[in-house]
Amino acid sequence: MTRAAIVGCGKIADQHVQAIHRIPGSSVVAVCDREPLMAEQLAERMAIEGVFADVDEMLQSVRPDVVHITTPPQSHSELGRRCLEAGSHVYLEKPFTITAPEAHDLVSLAERSQLLLTAGHNYQFTLEMMQMRRLVADGFLGGHPVHLESHWSYDLGDVSYVAPLLGSRDHWVRRLPGQLFHNLISHGVARLAEFLDEDLVEIVARAHQSDALRAMGGQEVCDELRVLIRDRRGATASFCFSTQIKPGMNLFRVCGPKNSLLVDLSSGSLSRNVGKSYKSYLTYVVPPLLSARGQLGNAFRNMGSIMSRRLHQDFGMKELIEQFHAAIASGGEPPIPYREILLTARIMDEVFDQIRSETGA
Amino acid sequence: MDNVDARAQVATPGDLVLVTGASGFIGAKVVEHLLERGWKKIRCFVRPSSKRGRLDEVIARFGGQAEVEIFVGDLLSPDDCARASRDVCIAYHLAAGFDKSFAGAFMNSAVATRNLMDALLADGHLRRFVNVSSFAVYSNLEMNRGALLDESAPLETSPQERHDAYGFGKLKQEQLVQRYGQQRGLPHVILRPGTVFGPGKKDLTGRIGIDTFGFFIHIGGSNLLPLSYVDNCADAIVLAGLVPGIDGEIFNVVDDQLLSSRAFLKAYKRRVGPLFSLRLPYAIAYALSWLWENYSRKSHGQLPPAFNRRRCTAEWKGNRYSNQKLHALLGWTPRVGIDEAMERFLSQFPERH
Repeated sequence: MTRAAIVGCGKIADQHVQAIHRIPGSSVVAVCDREPLMAEQLAERMAIEGVFADVDEMLQSVRPDVVHITTPPQSHSELGRRCLEAGSHVYLEKPFTITAPEAHDLVSLAERSQLLLTAGHNYQFTLEMMQMRRLVADGFLGGHPVHLESHWSYDLGDVSYVAPLLGSRDHWVRRLPGQLFHNLISHGVARLAEFLDEDLVEIVARAHQSDALRAMGGQEVCDELRVLIRDRRGATASFCFSTQIKPGMNLFRVCGPKNSLLVDLSSGSLSRNVGKSYKSYLTYVVPPLLSARGQLGNAFRNMGSIMSRRLHQDFGMKELIEQFHAAIASGGEPPIPYREILLTARIMDEVFDQIRSETGA
Repeated sequence: MDNVDARAQVATPGDLVLVTGASGFIGAKVVEHLLERGWKKIRCFVRPSSKRGRLDEVIARFGGQAEVEIFVGDLLSPDDCARASRDVCIAYHLAAGFDKSFAGAFMNSAVATRNLMDALLADGHLRRFVNVSSFAVYSNLEMNRGALLDESAPLETSPQERHDAYGFGKLKQEQLVQRYGQQRGLPHVILRPGTVFGPGKKDLTGRIGIDTFGFFIHIGGSNLLPLSYVDNCADAIVLAGLVPGIDGEIFNVVDDQLLSSRAFLKAYKRRVGPLFSLRLPYAIAYALSWLWENYSRKSHGQLPPAFNRRRCTAEWKGNRYSNQKLHALLGWTPRVGIDEAMERFLSQFPERH
């Protein structure tokens, strides 16, 4: 039995509890929030026995196998350290830490303590992303990736998130080095980090504020970001974060020397682009038909996953948590390699440094 | 509107009144009614992100007659609450926690209310705390169709099953207010408005139907809507802060004359124009809700329990509603009758040609 605890009883905590409750052999034994009312409400709704306002007290009295930290990111590093030192495995929501050195320290501590650590990069674990990963591992690309593209969109129409942070300079998102980007881009960057070499030779980041955000009173908050990256092997990557592209895009393209793949996380689809030429006018007919066949396959596969009750709306989180708990139970490797977590943190640090020096924010 | 003897009021018009959620649909009306009654010192608590058009318009209309202070702050900040509570005699707490998540709704309702109550009690001038709650706290799951729903009706015991974050936040907020009343002597009154409508709010209430699936599904038809025209509701709220001797009381706020959902939708369509709607009898809606709820449970939440029997009964079963207590203890009478209220509500839509 894997005994889990939740630290931070805000919005995302519900999804963690629900995902853990679905795992045979795992249960949530305690919740903790420095606001006791928040801990009480979660415990009451989810029928959880342990309720704490102090994390050290919770760690000492409950001794959970794993702690899911779902607090604002400013506290991740410190809470993660305390949990690891108390002997618990740790799941840290995204962004993993505020800076790359903090991420490095936590990973080192986990390795020294022989405990597992993971980051809340749950979009890496959607069905279509896992299928893409299998194809890449099987050599579909025909070699190392040549170019990667990641698009991540956020809809400003969700005012319940944006309005409070625009309204207060003291909002925790505003106090992050990368502000709005810091809280939102981890998912889009992590998928690049998965395929890039650790030795990056170039990162260029440019950010600006959209007219729409300015009209909402955004002041110094930027909401449009473009990043270009090149690694030592010559693989390049582009990242686009936008609040303005409509319909919103949540895409990942990985291009190899032979074939390429496109993952559309908005529709749960994977498209194979095979490097094959067709004679004459067949060039204009066969590839679209093959593409249509591929999309039909996506639709049927998704329908099958829905009917078999495999596909949940928060499938990525469910899968990541299941894999993490399975690794804890079996003593296996964590679902996200530490290399990927650390490289994501390094890319984000560099992006935010460049934005700050460019905008003075 | 002059049904409270000024000498017997909880406070006098020179005392400071705090209105949270003052820029909202009901909040701005409360400020307007206080100004109409000659209140001289009003502190309006608004969020930094609030749109203040309604409130600015009210203040401009009564400009110069009173000191109306706009206090921009966050009820989740104890410091902001402490500053906003200074010298406050009556607090009208209308700020609502609209959030899709249970945690968000709870934080913006219950935690925010706790902060405010702590600050008001610490300040020491408070004579009445008016907590504006909602009909969403009731559960009529075990009540018969058409049974009378008054202040003694059962409260929702499982907001999680009902998938109603807003109702959960309001329920917990009420419980906190009552606990503060019992344990710390908070002088309080709780109001539970029904469906508040009026110009400035264009959406059809969910108690008529839903447009989740891309078209409007009209559920039920003969069920009465617990309507409260915004001016009538604001009157009740203002009176709840002024009338002495009602500490600890709870009041439902609905108008004298109510319409069925069919009558409301018919009037709406007549004014607004053709709206494709499919009518779903209540019994079928209940059966579908049961199926949805069961699938959601068996699939471990693959389908969120957005439709379930608790929600179905609460919104579409149909009850009778009583405002007897409002009349008897507050001396409230609706200033706007249902015909005039509907006329004003519909006047915000362009006329059909």
